[in-house]
Amino acid sequence: MSDITDLPAPQGGPADGPAIALRGLGKRFGDLIAVKGIDLDVPRGSFFGLVGPNGAGKTTTLSMVTGLLRPDAGQAFVLGRDVWSDPVASKRLIGVLPDGLKLFDRLTGLQLITYAGLLRGMSRELASERAAELVAALGLTEAQGKLVVDYSAGMTKKVTLASALVHGPRVLVLDEPFEAVDPVSAATIRRILSGFVESGGTVVLSSHVMDLVERICTHVAVISDGTVLATGELDAVRGGRTLEERFVDLVGGSTEVVGLSWLRTSSD
Amino acid sequence: MVAHLVRLKLTLLRNIFRRSLAQAIGAVVGIVYFAVLVAGLAVILATFRASLDAARVVIPLAGAAGIILWTVVPLFSFGSDPTLDPGRFATFAVPHRDLAVGLLAAALVGLPAIASTVLSLGVVVAWSHTALSTAVAVVATAIGLLTAITTSRWVSAIMTSAISSRRGRDVVAVLGLLLLVVIGPAVSVVANLGTDLRELATTAAGIVAWSPLGWAWAAPGDVAAGDLGNGIVRLLLAAGLLVVVFQLWSRVLRDEVDNPRAVSRTDSGASLGDDLGLLARLPGTPLGAVAARVLTYWRRDPRYQISMAMTPLVPLALLVPFIAGDVPWTPLLMGPLVAFLLGWSEHNAVAYESDALWLHVVSGVSGRDDRRGRIVPALLLAAVLVPVYVLVGVAVARRWDLLPAVLGLSVGLLGSGYAVSSVMNVVLPYPVPESGDSPFNAPPGAAGITIAAQSLASLATIALTAPTTLLAWLAWQGSAWAGWAAGLVGVCLGVVVGLVGVGAGARLYDRRAPELLSTLRRT
Repeated sequence: MSDITDLPAPQGGPADGPAIALRGLGKRFGDLIAVKGIDLDVPRGSFFGLVGPNGAGKTTTLSMVTGLLRPDAGQAFVLGRDVWSDPVASKRLIGVLPDGLKLFDRLTGLQLITYAGLLRGMSRELASERAAELVAALGLTEAQGKLVVDYSAGMTKKVTLASALVHGPRVLVLDEPFEAVDPVSAATIRRILSGFVESGGTVVLSSHVMDLVERICTHVAVISDGTVLATGELDAVRGGRTLEERFVDLVGGSTEVVGLSWLRTSSD
Repeated sequence: MVAHLVRLKLTLLRNIFRRSLAQAIGAVVGIVYFAVLVAGLAVILATFRASLDAARVVIPLAGAAGIILWTVVPLFSFGSDPTLDPGRFATFAVPHRDLAVGLLAAALVGLPAIASTVLSLGVVVAWSHTALSTAVAVVATAIGLLTAITTSRWVSAIMTSAISSRRGRDVVAVLGLLLLVVIGPAVSVVANLGTDLRELATTAAGIVAWSPLGWAWAAPGDVAAGDLGNGIVRLLLAAGLLVVVFQLWSRVLRDEVDNPRAVSRTDSGASLGDDLGLLARLPGTPLGAVAARVLTYWRRDPRYQISMAMTPLVPLALLVPFIAGDVPWTPLLMGPLVAFLLGWSEHNAVAYESDALWLHVVSGVSGRDDRRGRIVPALLLAAVLVPVYVLVGVAVARRWDLLPAVLGLSVGLLGSGYAVSSVMNVVLPYPVPESGDSPFNAPPGAAGITIAAQSLASLATIALTAPTTLLAWLAWQGSAWAGWAAGLVGVCLGVVVGLVGVGAGARLYDRRAPELLSTLRRT
């Protein structure tokens, strides 16, 4: 616990070196090169959106930043600490919400959040105190005593987010945090994340909902086919158009529908 | 439809070899091992061609045993393959009959079916006395094999739906217990019945040949012996049985497809209270948290409950030969057996959590805390069960002089088991039923690797305990010093091997946690 509270306060302002820096990060699965040597800087204090089509390599990239997937090439730094050569220090600094991984879902919500805190080496008092606070903030109070396996998809996202927040990270890495979350819960999550960024933290999230990224993010990176197509402040990237138009433009591919005439049932 | 399902099954079989190299090797070793075993058995069956009388005793019994094995074994180990789980086809509008036939054809493609087919070839050879008997043998054996597979599907389907309701689970558990209780007296009755084993077998074969289990297997023997009438009657009865079983199975299949249980969740999701449970009772450290979480899982996850319920019961089976057959030494092995099971059963524990392990990885939990935390619950259980069974075993056998040797062997096996398990968990996790699935459901195409990993874990555990086992054996032979030496060596070696193994597992985990996570995601 003292390890966490003794950390230097977040140094606001993007000038102080990036919160996350990727250098030549690459990963291949058999014949498929999922991430092709990415260079990317996530400024401190930014609300960073990672957008890209399905299969672009978003999850793979984020997994390599969070220590879940060993890269085949390159390095990833969190606040200057190399994730793969100094995992203990870097993992202490980040909170992670992965997408599509299971949870210890036979614990109750409250137990799961406390468990995440204890695994981080926090004292039980602090962990359970913060777990209770997070449960209240995320509106899970009524469900805190239920098994996570019985949660809806949106509640599961929220309890995972709480597990990522419990140790007070400096950087949050969230893979599809708003997927399957209802609008009310999404607003709650957004407020919590905005508060986190205002107090000097950094949030990286991936999404393919352009509207949402446009509304909340200060910076974006567009990745497709394992490479970064554009990155920078939101306004610079979208260049006067909507993010969605710019995105389709960058990623290419036609939105025209070819064929499927049999689907138009008017001939019935 | 049939072709589709068969192709699906073939793809799954091929995919066994497309996992990691270690798993592919494991699968190949498992398959080769069993191929040799099966081929040997088939040759033995074929040699019964030399004696028609012997064949008419052995083959109906073996065939009936085959049908029973097909029915019972999947319930306990490999399970009904969930790719062939009828519930999965609920969203596709497939005609019931096509689905039933297709699923059967797909079941025929699996490794167990191939093994059974090879054995059946041995049976056909054994009956090939005349042209007519050979022809009948081909038909009857095919009927027998199909009956075995269809019955297996049918019973698995019933059991899976039974087990997914709480009442059903209780009923199955009670039936299992009853079976265990009945085995003992049954064995002793049989043992007292016939002093002449051959006479007993002949009587049994006579009964079995006229039971539904034996019709198909006995019919060719009648024909070969010239008793055409009996042969035809049995063949017709066997064919009729196959039709009946197929109809029964089709009906269960229709229910499953029309009311898929996978979609509806029966669990009410009742609140368990705001208490932290065991997390509040064990030390508030990463190690304590892991231990508390594993203990909580033991209470809440049916997959663990099955093995929790079986482990303390299995050693009781050793009492059967003691009571029934006056074998004086089997109770002594109760303590060592329960110790072996407790250590060994941990060897794939991490796979049950699947990729939920990510939380440990992103939290930077050290290998030491992870490995040791997982062992704590099993140690707590061992601290109760092992002394009880050691004492009970020694008391039942009235060999208090062997107490040190038995205790040493137990502790040795426990330590070796934990050591092997700690390493195996990281190196070779293999697929298990998913959380929420029936504990009797096995993942597709995993039988080979499962057998290989389980054999490897057993062999390694036994090998690491070899010195103690040798001393214990000498003690049984009457050497007094060896008994005390076995006790001393067993306890010391058990503790040392255990610590070294858990340490090695921890270092491996530190180095390979992300790779372990990738493997768990794939399996």
